[in-house]
Amino acid sequence: MARALARALVAAALTLVAALTLAACGSGGDTTAAQIDNGSTGKHGGTLRILTGEDPSSLDPGVTYSSLDLNVLAGTERTLYAYKPDDPAKIVPDLAAGPPQVSADGKTLTVKIRSGVHYSPPVNREVKAQDVKYAIERGFNPHVANPYASTYYGDVVGAANATGGPIAGIQTPDDHTLVFKLSRPTASLLAQATILPLSVPVPPEYAKPFDAHAPSDYANHVVATGPYMLAADKSGKVLGTGYKPGRLIRVVRNPSWNASTDDRPAYLDAIQWTIGGTPTVSGRQVLNGKGMVLGDPPTAAIVKLAYQHHRDQILFVEGGGSRYIALNTQVPPFDDANLRKAMAASLDRERMRIVRGGAVVGDIATHFLYPGVLGFDEAGGLAGPGEDFLAAPAGDKAVAAKYMKAAGYPSGRYTGTETVQVIGLAGEPDDNDAQIVDQALQDLGFKTSLKLVDASVMYGRFCALPKSKVQVCPNLGWVRDFADPQTVLDAAFNGAAISPENNPNWPQLDDPKINAAMSKAEVAVGTEKRAQAWADIDRMITATAAAIPWLWDKQPNLFSADVRCVPELWNQGHCDLAYSSLK
Amino acid sequence: MSVGAPGLLAEEQRFEHVFEAVAARSPLQLFWRRLRADRLALVALGVIVVLVLVALLAPLIVKLLGAPGPNVQDTHAVDQFGTPLGPSSGHLFGVDPLGRDVLARTVYGARVSLLVGVVGTTVAVGLGVTVGLLAGYYRGWVDTLLSRLIDVVLSFPVLLLGLGVASACSLGNGCLGGAITPGLRTVMLVIAIVSWTSIARVVRGQVLSLREREFVLAARSLGASGRRVVFREILPNLVAPIVVYASLLLPQAILFEAALSFLGVGVSPPTASWGWMIADAAENFDTQWWYMLFPGAALLLTVLAFNLLGDGVRDALDPRTER
Amino acid sequence: MLGYVVRRLLWGLLLLLLVSALTFVIFYVLPSADPAQLRAGRSGSLATLAAIRHNLGLDRPLTVQYWTFLKRLVLHGDLGYSYYSDASVRSLLFDRIGPTVSLALGAVVVWLLVSIPIGMISAVRPRSWLDRLTMGGALLALSLPVYWVGLVALYLFSDDIGKWPLLPGAGSYVPLAQSPWEWFTSLIMPWLVLASTYAAIYARLLRGNLIETLSEDYVRTARAKGLSERRVILRHGLPPAAGPLMTLAGLDLGLLLGGAVLTETIFGIPGIGRLNYEAIVHADYPVIQGTVLLAAMFVIVANIAVDIGYAYLDPRVRTA
Repeated sequence: MARALARALVAAALTLVAALTLAACGSGGDTTAAQIDNGSTGKHGGTLRILTGEDPSSLDPGVTYSSLDLNVLAGTERTLYAYKPDDPAKIVPDLAAGPPQVSADGKTLTVKIRSGVHYSPPVNREVKAQDVKYAIERGFNPHVANPYASTYYGDVVGAANATGGPIAGIQTPDDHTLVFKLSRPTASLLAQATILPLSVPVPPEYAKPFDAHAPSDYANHVVATGPYMLAADKSGKVLGTGYKPGRLIRVVRNPSWNASTDDRPAYLDAIQWTIGGTPTVSGRQVLNGKGMVLGDPPTAAIVKLAYQHHRDQILFVEGGGSRYIALNTQVPPFDDANLRKAMAASLDRERMRIVRGGAVVGDIATHFLYPGVLGFDEAGGLAGPGEDFLAAPAGDKAVAAKYMKAAGYPSGRYTGTETVQVIGLAGEPDDNDAQIVDQALQDLGFKTSLKLVDASVMYGRFCALPKSKVQVCPNLGWVRDFADPQTVLDAAFNGAAISPENNPNWPQLDDPKINAAMSKAEVAVGTEKRAQAWADIDRMITATAAAIPWLWDKQPNLFSADVRCVPELWNQGHCDLAYSSLK
Repeated sequence: MSVGAPGLLAEEQRFEHVFEAVAARSPLQLFWRRLRADRLALVALGVIVVLVLVALLAPLIVKLLGAPGPNVQDTHAVDQFGTPLGPSSGHLFGVDPLGRDVLARTVYGARVSLLVGVVGTTVAVGLGVTVGLLAGYYRGWVDTLLSRLIDVVLSFPVLLLGLGVASACSLGNGCLGGAITPGLRTVMLVIAIVSWTSIARVVRGQVLSLREREFVLAARSLGASGRRVVFREILPNLVAPIVVYASLLLPQAILFEAALSFLGVGVSPPTASWGWMIADAAENFDTQWWYMLFPGAALLLTVLAFNLLGDGVRDALDPRTER
Repeated sequence: MLGYVVRRLLWGLLLLLLVSALTFVIFYVLPSADPAQLRAGRSGSLATLAAIRHNLGLDRPLTVQYWTFLKRLVLHGDLGYSYYSDASVRSLLFDRIGPTVSLALGAVVVWLLVSIPIGMISAVRPRSWLDRLTMGGALLALSLPVYWVGLVALYLFSDDIGKWPLLPGAGSYVPLAQSPWEWFTSLIMPWLVLASTYAAIYARLLRGNLIETLSEDYVRTARAKGLSERRVILRHGLPPAAGPLMTLAGLDLGLLLGGAVLTETIFGIPGIGRLNYEAIVHADYPVIQGTVLLAAMFVIVANIAVDIGYAYLDPRVRTA
């Protein structure tokens, strides 16, 4: 299961090559490409300020799932394996002492834990394998309710019925060895899944009293294992010091961190997030100020301003995720595949990209695996599988008319009586995209009712709730959890994933052929085999038009002139706290 | 009581001070005379009439001005970065980020503001007057109950209540079993909910004092039923304070709708609402000044006109006011 | 007198109870987002959601939930936990009350300081050009939407993005304890913007009242006694005219302490109003309940204070 895009998105930087192909930008021939900084050098000291509009969803590593939170945790916590900022495909040992050892049958994963890693005050003691075991087990506790525990750790023996108690399939033969026993041969996938923060060690003797609360209170008292920690008072309480809801997050150096156990340079002395503020104002403050980074995607106007006047302060990072419009395949009118294809063909996806800032902010998507994910090229690359209803980025009225006729509307306009409910996101630029989709529906003859709501309402009450029977959700998207293509496609389009609440398969696509292919691909072993298997599935999904892919984000990342931002290519380009520095 | 045939009107005007002392002039005519003499109020009235016409004839006016419809997204009016173009020959007031003509949307926005203002105020006044009449006339436990209800509602932070109701009713099928659909109806309901209490209090106070006056006692001693007394004797005397409060309420209702839309819980797009446009424009005010200026000016003009007219009405109704 | 005070206080408590019940009903009955889903984030398992609902007591009947809420509030002062941010509602309120108090009190001071002299000058010289100018300006000020004024002010004068950088911009609020000077400068624009509408209303009100009192008999007597005009106005005209203003200011302060949503949102002031607005947007019931109760408490206290003040001055009111 991959993360949805609606939360604060920032993407890692690649080159500006695509941007260079823009004809006249009006700024004269300034075409320097921004280099990716990998943080191998940097000046020590200073405080970095990150301006963001939204609160973190949770700072408890067992709950964290949004890219902002992952960015915080990448500096304060250590997972078993992790990605270096500049390589989003290869996992390197972080808390682990060496590469993952997968048994021949693929059902056992053995990981050795490093020695000499200590918790921050007030716990202070050394990290043990039992702490990682507890961290994973608590993910199944309803007081913690980890969003991906059952997806990626569900194959561990004993996890299916776990509710927070010990799981038999996670074994600790000694204090520095962890062994996972699985019921299916998915051990190498599990090794990759440990880059997610559920594998961050949690000291049971310290955390159990907090986990006994409903909901768990550990987030307000979390301890760190990384070079930084959330500022806390003497008893370890983070709330009020390191985190003030709606106001700030403050991260300082972790006194227990041992640099010899870690490859990370940790140049900065402190990092502070200032929460609140409007995107345009924050964007300009970052561009004109010092020591600041914008933690949210900038508005189109800011992208233009930065691109034209502060070229070296903006990085466009590929692999930000793919955006698509979900069409509910279970209720009329879009239970008819021809109508879905007609809608896809008539939509002007270029305009949807323009209101976000134009060609610099991404490539027009033609299928669902996006650049940087394994299987992208096998699925057709930039050009895509060649479906005629997605061939023209600006829309093709003739193809749309053809599908309308096939659906039984020879006039080319819908004549039915349903009112199509469109639920979009409030706030720029998503609300503009939603309105473009709304207008496109009306141009095809549909009667629509558009509502712009908050992200949690959009998912919780409408798009992720099948019984709400919403027909169109235009502001959806997926980001991979880790490099494997399964994390982009499985939960999003597998019929088996459909759930009456918190449904991740928003179009509710339930195609038996696709479902069967996914079951097989889940246990495929070997990168080429997996890439090909999932690429084929991607083509099948694209052909159903259950969702209309429209943008592969190149997330614009904005920072002040004196900031050396080392973008996390694996996490949408957020500046990595432990590698970034000030000039 | 009518004064007489039109031919006498000229005579009246020449000797008005005499007639005033001698004739029992109806309050309504006194009111009109004073209002007519207030030039500023007349100008305001004129502006309001124009606004109402604009709202009613919006499609015609937009066509006459040569502007495209309010929901037409002009793809050529936005540059490659998504920046909309400012005022030009094709778009007199410029366009919004989706390429929609700001002039057309400003004109159509008048519909929302006026409709919501008038209907919302009417409902609020109706509710408030009813409650005030009941409480003031029947007194006793009815009065106690209703007065306490007013106290509770007044203690409620009404903007928060309004926000909550607006946001909740904006979802799905609305509320009250679908009777209140999201959009205009929700906003009108919210305005009614937050505004009825002050009128109720005033009416209650007036009724309490009126019901002891001779003409009421006379009517009752003649055997008139409660309802008859209320409608025939008391209500006509309440017209003045009701009009005064309505004139205070209307511009506030218009501002309130704009505020709700600004906060994102009013009418939903693509319906053009001045408040929503200002909110949308706020993000990029410095580079897209036209998008914020024109709806803001329209809102200001409308509210100012209603306030001026309200002032004039109040001054004309109150014989003691020096102007 | 004591009896009157006690009765008013008891009625105030009852009002608070009714407001809390009303809030409960409104926000649970009206369709809105599911708190269990908010809590669980985007996790998959149905069992998890059911467990969360059970833990939060959301599967109990409404009356039971309300009773539990009341018990926790009265016995432990516990207002529950925010669904959205894991923090206790009480800590959120305490954290945010400071900025709101700063904003509200400052605005009251500003608008009184502005409206009283303006109202006086206009009343003393009615229908002069100065009078027309100030009253015209007042009418303009109260016809402007406050958020529009605030946005324009920011884009003209804020030091980070304004055309003429003068004052700190949005989001620059710091607590008084942290830095008094920065606290003060960050609030200047919000105070002026928030006070503008009220100053206009109060100036008009004072003008009307003062014109009336200045035509009363006792004022004529004072003039006849040979007192200077200034003394007449300040000593005999102003106090009764300003009385209702003070009452109104007390009531308006009570309202503002519940949070000035629009001003706080535009200037990024982390106060109660913004907290409430965000809670409504995220359907975060415990926080909504907490902020509404707090705001109602301020309004009720303000009303009681005003009533007691009247009762002290006018004994006839005490029998009401």
